[in-house]
Amino acid sequence: MIISASHVTMRLSGGGHAVTILDDVSLDIPAKQMAAIVGPSGSGKSTFLGLIAGLDRPTSGSIKVDGVEITTLRESEMARYRRQKIGYIFQSFHLIPTLTAWENVAVPLELIGDPHAKSRAIDLLTAVGLKDRQSHYPVQLSGGEQQRVAVARAFACRPPILLADEPTGNLDSTIGRQIIDLLLALNRDYGSTLVLVTHDSDLASFTQRIITLRDGRIVSDHSPASSLK
Amino acid sequence: MMMPFGISMAWRETRAAWRHFLYFFVCIALGVGTLVGVGLFAANIEGTVTREARGLMGGDLEVRLSRPISANGWAILQSLESRGIGVLHISELVAMASRIGREAPPSHPSSAVPTQLIELKAIEPVYPFYGTLKTIPDRPVSELIAVQPDVCVADRVAEKPNCYGAIVQDSLLIKMGLQIGDHLKIGQALFKITSTLKHEPDRVASAFSLGPRVMISQEALRAAELVKPGSRVRERYLLRVPSEASPEPLLTELREQLTKDSAHVSTFREAQPQLRRFLDQLTRYLGLVGLTALFVGGIGVASTVHAFIKDKLKTIAILKTLGADSGTVIRTYLFQALCLGFMGSVAGVFAGASLQHVMPIILAGLLPLDPFALSSSQDTIPIEPILKGLALGVATTLLFTLWPLLSIREIRPALIFRTDILGAEPKDVSLKGRFASLRQLQDPVRSGMAVLVVLGLSGLAIWQAQSLSIGMIFIGALLAAVILLVLTARALIRGLRIAASPSSLTVRHAMGNLSRPGSQATSIMVAIGIGVMIIVTISLLERSLISQIGESRPLNAPTFFFIDVQPDQKAAFERLLQQQFSHIMPELTPLVRSRLHAVNGRPVPLHEEDDRERRGRRDGEQGKAWYFTREYVLTFLDRLPKDNIVIKGEWWGHDTNKGPLVSIEEEAARHLGVGLGSTIEFDIQGTVLPATVSSIRKVEWSNFSTNFYMILSPGSLEGAPFTFVATVRVAPKEEIRLQQAVVGAFPNVTAINIGEVMDTFARVLEHLSFAIRAIAVFCILAGSLVMAAALATTRYRRLYESVVFKALGATRTLIAGSFATEYALMGAVAGLIGTILASGLSWGVLYFVFDLPWTLQPMVLVSSLLFTVMLTLGVGFLSTFRILGQRPLAILRHE
Repeated sequence: MIISASHVTMRLSGGGHAVTILDDVSLDIPAKQMAAIVGPSGSGKSTFLGLIAGLDRPTSGSIKVDGVEITTLRESEMARYRRQKIGYIFQSFHLIPTLTAWENVAVPLELIGDPHAKSRAIDLLTAVGLKDRQSHYPVQLSGGEQQRVAVARAFACRPPILLADEPTGNLDSTIGRQIIDLLLALNRDYGSTLVLVTHDSDLASFTQRIITLRDGRIVSDHSPASSLK
Repeated sequence: MMMPFGISMAWRETRAAWRHFLYFFVCIALGVGTLVGVGLFAANIEGTVTREARGLMGGDLEVRLSRPISANGWAILQSLESRGIGVLHISELVAMASRIGREAPPSHPSSAVPTQLIELKAIEPVYPFYGTLKTIPDRPVSELIAVQPDVCVADRVAEKPNCYGAIVQDSLLIKMGLQIGDHLKIGQALFKITSTLKHEPDRVASAFSLGPRVMISQEALRAAELVKPGSRVRERYLLRVPSEASPEPLLTELREQLTKDSAHVSTFREAQPQLRRFLDQLTRYLGLVGLTALFVGGIGVASTVHAFIKDKLKTIAILKTLGADSGTVIRTYLFQALCLGFMGSVAGVFAGASLQHVMPIILAGLLPLDPFALSSSQDTIPIEPILKGLALGVATTLLFTLWPLLSIREIRPALIFRTDILGAEPKDVSLKGRFASLRQLQDPVRSGMAVLVVLGLSGLAIWQAQSLSIGMIFIGALLAAVILLVLTARALIRGLRIAASPSSLTVRHAMGNLSRPGSQATSIMVAIGIGVMIIVTISLLERSLISQIGESRPLNAPTFFFIDVQPDQKAAFERLLQQQFSHIMPELTPLVRSRLHAVNGRPVPLHEEDDRERRGRRDGEQGKAWYFTREYVLTFLDRLPKDNIVIKGEWWGHDTNKGPLVSIEEEAARHLGVGLGSTIEFDIQGTVLPATVSSIRKVEWSNFSTNFYMILSPGSLEGAPFTFVATVRVAPKEEIRLQQAVVGAFPNVTAINIGEVMDTFARVLEHLSFAIRAIAVFCILAGSLVMAAALATTRYRRLYESVVFKALGATRTLIAGSFATEYALMGAVAGLIGTILASGLSWGVLYFVFDLPWTLQPMVLVSSLLFTVMLTLGVGFLSTFRILGQRPLAILRHE
C-alpha cells in the first residue's frame, strides 16, 4: 500500500466548540490507483486529503505513506516529504500572485535544486497548452488557465502521489472537463497514484474506486462499476 | 544556470512589491546617511588636523610652560640654535586693552567700550615656522609688530615713547570702535593697530574665548610690564628641526633636560590635543544621535517586514505546501531584506557624502578652525566611515528583520486548505495579538533571538561610540526609553478602547483605527516619540543651563574678577575702590599656581600626562588623569569659605604649627586617591611644598565665587610668588567706569566681566545644542518615515473602509476628519510621551551630571507637543489624501 490510514481522527476547535471533522477513518490505497473521495460539504474529505499531503496532523491515528509514518515527522522532514512525494491541486488554484506562470511551475523544481527548472517548467506549460502564456501573471490568466498552471506545477517533480482537491470546483463544466482530461492523461503518462476529492459524480466515475465520506466517517468504498450497478 | 531558490524567489518578490519596500529602503538610507555624513566629516577634519599638524602647532616641537622659563632652561634652548634648530618664543596671556587718543567715532556712539579684555599673544618676527598667518593688509609679520615710525598719541601716564605695532582681531575694532591706524594701550606700552588678523594657524582650539586676539612682539610685551611673578602666562617655545632630522630624539632629550622647569614638551604629532579631544567627543555624540536615527529607521524596517509577512501568509503557506521548509522561506525573505538594506545603505552613503558638506554650517561657531576650508580641502575620500556606514546599515537591517521573520515558522501550510474547507480568508494565525510578545518569549528560539538582537544592537552602539561604557549607557537608555514608550503607548491605546465611546462617529472611527488589532499605532508612536524625546531633551538642557547661568545667578554674585593684582598693589587697589566707589567692598584672595609634584610620596611624572590621557580615554576615565595633570590654583585661608562644608577631618584652628596642611575638595580627593593624613607635594614655580591633608570639603561650585580644589593653611605659602584675585560686585551702570578706573591705575590687572563670560558660554551652549538638534532632526525624519510606512501598509484597508463609508452616505469631510483625528491623537500621544521622557531624561542629566535643579519649561513642552501633532497630521495627510478622492463603485466591484 502506498497510502495506509488507520483510525484517523481530526478535531478542530474554534469559537469554544470542538468540531469532529474526521472520526476514526481507516483506509488503504495501493500504488498507481486512481481513487475519488466523495461526500457532501463538511464531510471531511478535503481534510483527509490535506492530512495525506502532510499539510496538517491528525488529532489521533496513523497515516503511513510508502511505509513511513508521516504524522510524527518534524517540520523539515514533513517539508521534504511534500517536496518528494506529493503533488497537490487546489480548488482555488493557489498560484503565487507575484510569480509568472513558468515561475509558479518552477518553484517545486527549484526547491529540489533542479538546475533545469526553467526549461522543465516551460515544457510542462507546453504540455498543458500554455506555452504562449508562460510569462503571464496569475491575475492575467483565466480560471481554467490558472488551474492548468496548477496542474503543471503539481506534476513538476513527477511525484508518486497526486492529490487533487475539487480541481474543477471553481470552473465551468466545459473547462472542468478539459482539466479532468488533462489530469487523467498526465497521470497515465507519469504513473502516479491519484486521489481526488470531488462533488462531481461524473468525475468520480473516471476513477477506479469511490470512497464516500459522511460526517467524518467512510460510509461506502467501492469501484465505479459496482456503484453504477 | 539557475540561481539558488532563495535568491531567485527574493528577486521575484522584490520585483513585485518594490513599492512596499520603498520606505524600508529610505529608512535605512536616512540613518546610514546621517552616520556617514558625521563620520566623513570627522574623518576629513581629523585628516586635516593630522596633515596640517605642523601648522597647527606652528613648529616641529613645542616646549610649553605655565611660568617664565628658568635661566638654565633658556640656555638649553638657546644652545639648540647652534645645531641648526630654530627657536621661536611665544607668550600667551589675558590682558586689558584701553582705547587712547580719541573717543569712539560717531558710528559707535554708545556701544563702544573704552577698555576690553583681550587674549594677548607675543610673538617674534619669524612667527610662524609652519602654516600661514593671514592679515589685512597682507604685510610681513616683522613689519606689522615692529616699533612704528609714528608717535603714539601721548598719554598722561605713559612714559614709554615707543609705539609698537599690533595685529588685532576684527571683533576688537568693533567692540572698541576702532580702526586700523588707531592706538591702544596694553599694560604700560602703547600700540598702533597695523592690521587685522584673518587666520592664526596655531590658535589654541577652543570654542570658548575670553576676548579678541591681539598679537604683539616680545619686545612690546616686556615694555608692557604685564608678566610679573605669579602672573598667569603660557610660555611656548616652538622649535624647527632641520628638514632631514626627526623631532623624536630631540623630544626625549628636552624632556630630560627641562624636567626642573616643569616644561611640557610635545611634537607636532600631538598638536592640538584639545581640538582632537573636542572633535572626538562632538562627533561621537553626533554619531550616536545618527545611530538613533538608524535604529528608529530599524523600527520602520521591522514594521514593514511585519506587514509584508502578513501580506504573504498565503504565499508562504503555498510555498510550504510545495515542500519549502521554514528555514528556506526565512532565508528567502532575509536575503531579500539584506539586499534592500545593502542598497539602502549604499544610497545612504551618497546622502552622507552630501551631508558632510552641510556639517560645517551645522557646526559653525563651534570649530575654531575654518571648517569650510577643511572640508573643501579634501582630495581623497576616507573609506572607513563609508564601510562602517554600510556595515551598520546591513547589520541594523538584519537585527530588525530577524524578529518579524521568525513568525514564518508559525505559518502552517494547513492555512490554505483550511481556507478551502472552511471558506474563510486566511487569518493571521501566528501574528495575532501584538500584546502576545511576552508570551512569545517563552519560545526558546524567540527568546534566544531577542538576546541576540539586544547583543547585536549593543555591539553596534559600542562600535559607533568607540567605548564600551558609553555604548552600553546609550543602548540601556534607548531600550529603557523604547520600553517606556511602548508601555505608555499601549496603556493609552487600551485606555482609549476602554473609554466610553464618544458620540461623534469621526472620533469613534479614529479611536477604533488606533486600537484595532494589528494597528501599527504603537510602532509609530515609539518611532516618533524617540525623535521628540531627543530634541526636547537637548532643548530643555540648553534652556536650563542657560537660565541657570543667566537668571539664577545669586543676587550677591560678583560682577568682576580682577586677576593678577600684585601683593604691592593690594593696598592701592583697595584704596582706589574705597575712594571712587565707596560702597564697594572688594574681596581679595591670595593665590598661587602650582602642579602636583607627588601624591603620597609617589611622584607625578610630567610626561605621564600623555600616557594617562591615552589610558584614560581607553577606560573612559579622562577625568581621573585631569586631576593629576591639571594646574592647581592654591590659596591660603584661615576661615572656611562660604558654601564649603567640611565632610571629613577638621578645619584648622589657630594652631598652625603642624606644618603646612591642605584641605581638599571631595571629588579631587577621590580621583587622586587621597584621604586624611595623606601627603600632597606641590610644585610651586620650581619649589616643592609638601602638605598634609587635614580635611575634605564639599564645594558649591555654582555660587560664582572664588572656589578652590586645594586650600592651604595660613603661612604655608610664605615667600611664594602669589598674586591676588579680587571679586567685586557693582551695579550694571558702573561696570564700565569701574573697569576703566582699575585698568587705568593698574594696567597689568585684568578685569574679567562675569556677565560677558557667561554670555560667551551661553553662545557656545546654543551652538552645541543647535548642532545636536540638527542631527536629531534625522531621528524625527526617520520617525515620520516609520509612520508613512505603517500607513502605507494599511492603505488598502483604509481605502476599502472609506468607500464603504461613502457608499453609506458619508462625506469626504467626515472621512478626512476621522483620519485627521486619528493622526492627531497619535501625534498627541507620541508628543506627550516624548516630552515626558525628555523631562525625565533632562532632569537626570541636570541632577546627576551638572548637579543642578530641573525647572519646568512649559513653552518648550507645549510647542514640542504641538509640533508633534502637526507632524503626524502632515505625514498622515500626505500618506492618505489620495484615498479620499476614490470613487466607491470601482473599489467595491473589485472587492
